[in-house]
Amino acid sequence: MNPRGGWALIQSTWLSWLQYRSFFFLLAFMWMIPPLIYLLVWSTAAGGQTVGGLSRGEFVAYYLTLILVNQLTYAQTNWTVGDLIREGRMNTLLLRPLAPLYDTLASELAGKIVYMIFIIPAVALLALLLKPEWHATWGTGLLFVPTLLLAWALRFFWGYWLALLAFWSTRADGLLALQDALIFLLAGMVAPVALLPGPMQSAAILLPFRYMIGFPVEVLTGQLSAGELWLGFAAQVVWLLVALTLSAAVWRGGIRRYAAIGG
Amino acid sequence: MRYLRLIRLFAEASAQNELAYQANFWISLLHSTLNTGTGVLGLVVLFGQIETVHGWDFPSTLALLGVYLTLSAVRGLFIGPSLDRLAGMDGEVWSGRFDFTLLRPVDGQFFASFRYWQPLALLDLAMGLGVLGLAIDRLGQGFSLAHLFTFGLAMAAALVILYAILLIFTALIFWSPGFLFTWVFDAFFQMARYPVGLYPGWLRLALTWIVPVGLMTTVPAQALTGGLSAWMLLGSLGLAACLLLGASALFRLGLRRYASASS
Repeated sequence: MNPRGGWALIQSTWLSWLQYRSFFFLLAFMWMIPPLIYLLVWSTAAGGQTVGGLSRGEFVAYYLTLILVNQLTYAQTNWTVGDLIREGRMNTLLLRPLAPLYDTLASELAGKIVYMIFIIPAVALLALLLKPEWHATWGTGLLFVPTLLLAWALRFFWGYWLALLAFWSTRADGLLALQDALIFLLAGMVAPVALLPGPMQSAAILLPFRYMIGFPVEVLTGQLSAGELWLGFAAQVVWLLVALTLSAAVWRGGIRRYAAIGG
Repeated sequence: MRYLRLIRLFAEASAQNELAYQANFWISLLHSTLNTGTGVLGLVVLFGQIETVHGWDFPSTLALLGVYLTLSAVRGLFIGPSLDRLAGMDGEVWSGRFDFTLLRPVDGQFFASFRYWQPLALLDLAMGLGVLGLAIDRLGQGFSLAHLFTFGLAMAAALVILYAILLIFTALIFWSPGFLFTWVFDAFFQMARYPVGLYPGWLRLALTWIVPVGLMTTVPAQALTGGLSAWMLLGSLGLAACLLLGASALFRLGLRRYASASS
């Protein structure tokens, strides 16, 4: 543990990321598009009535929140960890008196801040244009914060252990693509989980993906009963513990195998 | 004739290059399956909740998805990889290597558009055509020669429009090197997954007239469902011709601006 060194690393990473902000703004714009498409499709489908119990304005509120949550929890560093291992750049990081996890977390935090500079005004503008119907209260707002943090941690560590499989196979990023596809289908992106057909809905509730994005959004838009809320909370914690255990185990096994390619 | 022979040579050389990495085949297969699967399942979810939106039901929207997947496969086969060498990340215009490209004894635009092929995109093409076949079967109104002819014409127009827009976005690199214009186009192109009729009015106009990506998929899909008027078909053929001429002119103008990077 070396928190002071970790913080210095976070600061320097943030400053270097700000240099390339137009590139990151472009990335943020591109990640915003898929949820935006579903926002438009579902709100057009709802028209003047309701679809699956949601009105047009409620769909808009749901998806605008989802755009924010998706961006806040998206762990883009999971894609770069594999490259570090493959190309041997992990060597430099391993020599530092600081766990390489800090480096990943530093980029993660730097990215979040740069992306938010773009996403928050964009969502505010969309909210002005599309007139969402928010049912958020102080209570749901208060619950939203811990679920969002858990969602971020879950998505990060779930992707992290998948990315660390690069110690064994050079093409482990295929698994990250699979994870992205499952997130698209089951995490509330293509439709709110309540609107998914039977078997997909059960899968969404059992698997970890909904707890990475969809769950905090449902909490904030007030779609959940108290029972569902606690159950979802418990699922988040359990899946996070699983992801943490797997990350630690894969890291320990992988570092022993690592033979420093290139350098 | 010389140009056809050159295209064959380019394709062969790139195929030898790409097929050396055999594990890529399985990764590409995974990616195309995920892409097709999420697309189809997305429609299943949407039409599990509603019957039709603005006249589009499940089979006709599936036909549109087939058109979208086929078009993006052709783009991935040669248009995308070729133009990316010029204006993509670390592209030639940015790095100055474009000097050597310009010196070759062949038309600049032709070379920039056809020089690199990605044979694994044929997997995407097969899946796109598969979805089209499934949709035609679901539409169940028979498939006459006249249908096939109009569909072929509409597809050809769509391909030319796609190529022309990509060329325009690529040519902009001469004015602002370093900005990834084709990524901006990607964001718009994703919206062509759904019929323009599923978007609100202002966006429908933009996707038809400003960045005509909606037109690209909607018109061929309508040719299959029988909802296409002769005027629409003629209009899209005319638009294709105009855009192609305009894009070529812009590309030439850009070429004249190119002043090499210092190297």
